[in-house]
Amino acid sequence: MCSFFCPFMSHGSVVGVLEAVILRSFGPEGGQVLFTRDTGQAMLSRSGTHILRALHLEHPLARMVVECVWKHSTVTGDGSKTFILLLASLLRKIHTTASREPHVSHSYNSLEAAEAATARHLADKLLAFALKELDDLIAMEVAPHGRCVSWEDFTAEMHSPANHYVQKLLASFFHMRLGYVHCAFISELTCELLNHWKCIDNLPYFALQFLKDNFPAIHTPVSGFPITSSRLIEGQVIHRDFATPYPQTDHQPIKAVVFTGYLQPRLLNTGDVLEVGCGGTEERSIVDFSAWTERSLQCLIANLQSLGVSVLLSVVKQSAAVLALATQAEMCFVDCVSEDELSLFAQLSGATPISDCWRIEPEHIAELTFCRPILLGPHRYENMPFFSLTCKATHLHAKNYLGTIHTSHLQTLVADVFIIRVKVKPYSLIICGSGEGQTDQYACAFQDAIRMLFTTWEPIPATGTTAAKRTVQSDKRTSSYTHVLTDSSTCTSSNLNPLHKCVLQPGCIMPAGGTFEFLLHHALLKLSHSCSASNDTNIGVPVSRLLASALLSVPKQIYSHSPGQFLQTRTRHNAIFTQDMGLESVSCKYELLLAVLQCVTSLLRVDTILRTHTALHTQSLADTSWESTEDEAEN
Amino acid sequence: MAASGGEPDFEWEPPSEAEMKVIQARRERQDKISKLMGDYLLKGYKMLGDCCDVCGTILLQDRQQKKYCVSCQELDSDIDKDNPALNAQAALSQVRERQLAAQSPAPSQTPELNGGPSNGQPSVSVPQPRPEHCEGAAAGGRALLPPPAVPPPPAEAVLTKLRWATTQLQGAASLEASIQLCSLITSCANSLRSLKELSQ
Repeated sequence: MCSFFCPFMSHGSVVGVLEAVILRSFGPEGGQVLFTRDTGQAMLSRSGTHILRALHLEHPLARMVVECVWKHSTVTGDGSKTFILLLASLLRKIHTTASREPHVSHSYNSLEAAEAATARHLADKLLAFALKELDDLIAMEVAPHGRCVSWEDFTAEMHSPANHYVQKLLASFFHMRLGYVHCAFISELTCELLNHWKCIDNLPYFALQFLKDNFPAIHTPVSGFPITSSRLIEGQVIHRDFATPYPQTDHQPIKAVVFTGYLQPRLLNTGDVLEVGCGGTEERSIVDFSAWTERSLQCLIANLQSLGVSVLLSVVKQSAAVLALATQAEMCFVDCVSEDELSLFAQLSGATPISDCWRIEPEHIAELTFCRPILLGPHRYENMPFFSLTCKATHLHAKNYLGTIHTSHLQTLVADVFIIRVKVKPYSLIICGSGEGQTDQYACAFQDAIRMLFTTWEPIPATGTTAAKRTVQSDKRTSSYTHVLTDSSTCTSSNLNPLHKCVLQPGCIMPAGGTFEFLLHHALLKLSHSCSASNDTNIGVPVSRLLASALLSVPKQIYSHSPGQFLQTRTRHNAIFTQDMGLESVSCKYELLLAVLQCVTSLLRVDTILRTHTALHTQSLADTSWESTEDEAEN
Repeated sequence: MAASGGEPDFEWEPPSEAEMKVIQARRERQDKISKLMGDYLLKGYKMLGDCCDVCGTILLQDRQQKKYCVSCQELDSDIDKDNPALNAQAALSQVRERQLAAQSPAPSQTPELNGGPSNGQPSVSVPQPRPEHCEGAAAGGRALLPPPAVPPPPAEAVLTKLRWATTQLQGAASLEASIQLCSLITSCANSLRSLKELSQ
């Protein structure tokens, strides 16, 4: 049974509902949403992604929109509420334009069908316009009003202006996400973390990419403490306790190896068949086999001892015999370490994990400066269910703690061509929060901040069309080029080569509070005027105006409490860098616009929603068809 | 985006004033519905993939698995016939009536746009606060009504309108016109009642 519905009104209403949900949390004066569960857990959040994903949504369009928002947020880390606002505003404008001037070149069954087709057409045009011309427009008209902060300048000194801007950018991000009380402290902590992880002699944003990819292993959430107890610790924290009693450390470099498999062959796996006593003259029993495995284990441990290895890390849980032998040999043993942490350990130490424990090469051995346990809070840690029981009596939870690695090298693969080795001193971030939910919020905020920074400094490559266009129109725009060159003196000199120029300079930031939207609005209107004046193409005219008017919905919401300030900011957009509204990243805004336009196009392409009686799984397709025929027969 | 290439199969005209009113009112109603649904979602209701059979709004389901339609069960359900947002005929007749009212010498009362027989008080006092509903004929050439504590003149005006409506009703041919006139009579009666309460 399928149901046909008017999709156009439905898009608007679904997105309108989502807009109504997030509207009260939007902006610097937005409120927080309190989530409660039946178990009594409560959590406060202002994050748009959290709010939207917590809603119970069965409507397919709503789920599609939330999915788009979530995917965008995993890339840029910010802007999920703005996404919904822009989406709703665009759909409304498209609807208005389509109902005013429906495309009547084809024959349609009804006015609604004509409107829907017009809307689809408009959305496609908008997306095409955005992909082709928007980055140029932003680079020419909007970015010059901002400032380019280069990553190299950031990493130089603590009190350089670049540091100040980055900290301000982070502070406004955390202000919007977590509130104004702790945003300064958290942004300082993040700057400190970035400073420690910066890699010299390397691509500027590589540190950000590394942090972004390895964040789960780099941070440790600890509940039960105020956020101001958060700090950085030298070295990597492995979130497991020692399986063997911890021996005293020497002062020499400590050697460690990582095992991915089982050291002692397991006897009782399901499906295993153990043939005992075949191929030999004597009778063999399973007891002999166990004795043989233990002897081989002793040889292995002796081998490790001869190599000077004193710390063993393992992905899987090892048997009691292994642990006993390790204790006897005075080796630290940590098992059930997560894959993320082990991969980070491998990257930092340069040691590859051992899969075959009989072949231990020098490249498998890592050298550590220190290795000690650390107590991080009284809270029971969820990802270690076994050891929480043993630690419950003392209410303490010790975690293993690996120190800095003097001779560590960070291996990177750059452009799939060559490997760079850089010295780095790893630091871990301890994030404290009053409850589990709050700590999780803070951890997500940190991660999103790093994603946002990465998007800001990631160079956006010029597409072929924009590069070609630039050479054709370069004479028209040389004046703007020189303006860009003289204004942002901290920019790199890659502007001079237009063909290889990145359209948007990485690290471009500008005042928050709707400045970007106002500037782009004016730029789009200017473009539409010039296009209509020169009769160049009539493609860009209505869509640029449509986009321009849709963009204003964002600052309108920001200043919904004070319309006077809205008008003032709109006229005074040339007065930049007022200290109160904070900073935001231009690249993130650009990515947001593209994502919204792509979402609009996908939404408007939906014609019909087919409702099926049973869930469609690939395995049970035969069953599904049988059941549906049965339903049809009943009908 | 004008029609390009080929003969259009149907004539498209820009929407008339009444239709614009309908569109505007429909949008406002939609915004109201969205806001209500948003509040319910934040309370833990589930948004279903079904639409209401009556009004086409998306259905919600509460924790007890009961389905709930915001527009049918919460917004005024007695406005379906009188509300020009839902009935284009009602909008057209409203425009016609306003034109008629502009011709008549006595200050006239326009029926409520949003409500049918809702509180008569706002319809007696100055309609100026809502110019978008009462533009055109209704606003033209009308003096401000005196404060509600006093007046024979408003009561007189309402009575005149009531009498006119009754006479019109006697001669009304179409069902729609009759319904409109009845609602006008109801609102006039309510206004009179409110006026009497105020004067006491």
